[in-house]
Amino acid sequence: MTTQRAPMIASQSLIDQIGARIAGELDVAVQQLPHDVSERLRAARTRALANRRMADTVTVTAPVLLAQGSSAALGGGWGFWGKAASLVPLVALTVGLLGIGTLQEQVRLREIAEVDAELLTSDLPPTAYTDPGFAQFLKLGAKD
Amino acid sequence: MASEKELDAFLRGVEKRAFKRSLYHVRNQESALDIVQDSMMKLSQHYGHKPVEELPMLFQRILSNSTLDWFRRQKTQNALFTHLGDFDAVDDGGEFDLLETFLQTEEPGREQGPQSQLERAQTLLNIEEVLQDLPARQREAFLLRYWEDMDVAETASAMGCSQGSVKTHCSRAVAALAKALRARGIFS
Repeated sequence: MTTQRAPMIASQSLIDQIGARIAGELDVAVQQLPHDVSERLRAARTRALANRRMADTVTVTAPVLLAQGSSAALGGGWGFWGKAASLVPLVALTVGLLGIGTLQEQVRLREIAEVDAELLTSDLPPTAYTDPGFAQFLKLGAKD
Repeated sequence: MASEKELDAFLRGVEKRAFKRSLYHVRNQESALDIVQDSMMKLSQHYGHKPVEELPMLFQRILSNSTLDWFRRQKTQNALFTHLGDFDAVDDGGEFDLLETFLQTEEPGREQGPQSQLERAQTLLNIEEVLQDLPARQREAFLLRYWEDMDVAETASAMGCSQGSVKTHCSRAVAALAKALRARGIFS
């Protein structure tokens, strides 16, 4: 077992030496980069650092703004009262709509009652209004 | 947490190698620059708060993933990862004689002077060409292990594979590089 492992370790070491030697030649390539490439890499680095600054700013300011917003509007965090307060506009809207509906219904009923009362208290019988001759008489009277 | 100065120094130290590494993979300068910029942005935005000693490993992983994303976008992933021959058993019998003689040869271009500089530039060009012809996983393993000087475990972690696979990829890459460079008369 040991005798089999020894050549393997030796060959791995040999591979590593040769690999490191060939790779060492590549270092020359790094030193010979064109100026424009170096400048573009520098610009990319600057942009990346600016991006990090921006990310830091967003990370720090976002919770602060949120906290300020909740405390200013609701006087505290989003607890029970905060959630209850957020429902107030919805409740107000519902009550308002129901109120408007009831009011309109009352106005309509009052108008019908007035018409009915007028018909019943008039000297003319209600059937007179269904007579075509009487309708013509009323039309001519209105013109005069 | 890495300060802005530390992050700047780290990126300054790795940006050129990162560019060359991407370039060896994608063979397009504009795309390589985009990949490096994208990797820098991701590192600074998502991992800028990490300790400075964790940055190298994180950056190598991001760079590898960004390169892979680029290939996915180019719809060439299948072409890259269908080198099924990479996973065949290694037949190292004939390779190591070659490797031993390779190591014994003198390193070229160590002397100064126009002639040796020219030879060294030519050597570099040859190595880069051979490197670009390697299968993607072998190239990635070789660059991470020997150029970025990561150990086997780190390379495996960066590549998302086992240590055994890293060793296999590296040995094949080195054998292929040595063979191709000898065939071109380099290191002979």
